[in-house]
Amino acid sequence: DQVLHIVPETLQQVQHLQHLCSTFLLDLWKPPLPEDIWAGEDLDIRVPAPLLQAVKDSLDQHMIPYKVLIHDVQELVDQSMPREMSSHRQTPEGYVYTQYHPMDKIYEWMTLIQENNRELVTQHYLGNTFENRPMYYLKISQPSDKTKKIIWMDCGIHAREWISPAFCQWFVKEILQNYESDAKIRRFLQNLDLYILPVLNVDGYIYSWETARLWRKNRSPHMNGTCYGTDLNRNFNSSWGSVGVSYNCSSEIFCGSGPESEPETKAVVQLIESKKSDILCYLTIHSYGQYILTPYGSTTEPPSNNEELMHVAQEAAAALMGKYGTSYEVGSTSLILYSNSGSSRDWAHMIGIPFSYTFELRDKGTYGFVLPADQIQPTCEETM
Amino acid sequence: IPAVGVKYYLHFTTEDYISGQNAGSCVATVLYLKNSRPAVNIKCLHTKDQNQIQDEDNRFHQQLRQQTKPIIANDIPDSHGNIDRALIPVWGLAVAGSSYVMFEKSTENLGYFMAQVKAVKQRIRKDNAAEFEFAVLLHETPTQKIDLCHIHVIWTLGHPLRVKYICASENHRLEDGSGMESGSASGILHEREGNF
Repeated sequence: DQVLHIVPETLQQVQHLQHLCSTFLLDLWKPPLPEDIWAGEDLDIRVPAPLLQAVKDSLDQHMIPYKVLIHDVQELVDQSMPREMSSHRQTPEGYVYTQYHPMDKIYEWMTLIQENNRELVTQHYLGNTFENRPMYYLKISQPSDKTKKIIWMDCGIHAREWISPAFCQWFVKEILQNYESDAKIRRFLQNLDLYILPVLNVDGYIYSWETARLWRKNRSPHMNGTCYGTDLNRNFNSSWGSVGVSYNCSSEIFCGSGPESEPETKAVVQLIESKKSDILCYLTIHSYGQYILTPYGSTTEPPSNNEELMHVAQEAAAALMGKYGTSYEVGSTSLILYSNSGSSRDWAHMIGIPFSYTFELRDKGTYGFVLPADQIQPTCEETM
Repeated sequence: IPAVGVKYYLHFTTEDYISGQNAGSCVATVLYLKNSRPAVNIKCLHTKDQNQIQDEDNRFHQQLRQQTKPIIANDIPDSHGNIDRALIPVWGLAVAGSSYVMFEKSTENLGYFMAQVKAVKQRIRKDNAAEFEFAVLLHETPTQKIDLCHIHVIWTLGHPLRVKYICASENHRLEDGSGMESGSASGILHEREGNF
């Protein structure tokens, strides 16, 4: 849109301009009404972009000189108003991390995080969900000429565990907000890249917001559309289908029609496989239970680096407890929880990623999956 | 214990469901037998003053009996974990009622948590008891199933809760097994009483 400045010289010109304004319903800035247009007086009109050429042609035809006062009205508007999201450096201003957000807001958030932190953050496409929604992860990386080791963290593999995506968002915010002030974070990022997938099971997450709060699986149909959903955390190729699963779609722990049968699983597998030699640590965030679980779920046989795995996890649990006194149990899934096969954590370790953990966040069953939003902050702070 | 079953010895602490405060500790033995319900022996040491508990119960009970309009509510907690302050004690009552159900349903390999109260409806009575109907979602582990149970509770002060319930999962089994017509009115209604 442009604003044209005209000073009509003759009555004829005034009449033509009045005609133009009423025909095109132009936005008169000065004077406000067409009947107040006078020869020798200033006339400022805003002309919408699609009509510009026609109006200018008409002015030329009638030999009415004009000047372009404003070349782009929108640009001026943008400059003069502090745009809600773009002014704050690190994180979108006004984004409330102590609330649960629906998927469309999380997509928006990812875009803004990248926009506001271009030097550190890039958003990457991982793949599509069953219902054809994009899966994105954020890569937080300090520019450098050396290849860095990677820490991968995914959240929201189970739809109803809302505290999990909330934690991923909180984590990203914390890292970016404190990057400048916290030397530890800077040192961290000197040698490590962080890959964060805020919502893995996008379709399921949306379903839990719109239809069934306690939905767990993804939304792929089976049995001619009479039954929906595979448990993505039983769908990985780690002793797939052997224990702690169901082969029946109606079960919440249905492992799918085969290992990696689900597009969500495939998308994650592809990326991690391609970078596995650089991935130091695989973290997958769930709720509830307050556990830090080590491999394996499919067998009680301890992993090769069990001592180190346990030691690190125990240190983490101790640090966590130091914050608010929350106690987390540490141990192998098959020993302290229950047997399950096809989990992403087991798979990550089996393909060679040395440190692989499942975090089960708050609580221990009081609120369970419907953890109140006022517990987001303490849960995230202690987990950090 | 060969040819008999498996016996577990437990020592655990308890906390107030609503406030999270330490409520004491218990020692228990649970004997899982082959063809009958487990045998439980339990002894607890309460930290909270029993008189205080009784006072709170009395007050709540009186409140319920003085209702002119029956309490009716849905989704406690809601999707975001919120509970109306006024409904917190009703939530507590639902937990108490559900615990009977969960006790009956659990086995050596199946455990439960109360995930959410989908609906609660009070029935005003003329006598000195409080009566409620709950629709409750139970989270079953390790199957991860969510079972919907209708729980009917009658609370007379100074007496244990009288609980009757029927869960959707059982209805299903009934249909599958005995070939009955679908129509859930004919399910097994369980009654449970006694010192819990």
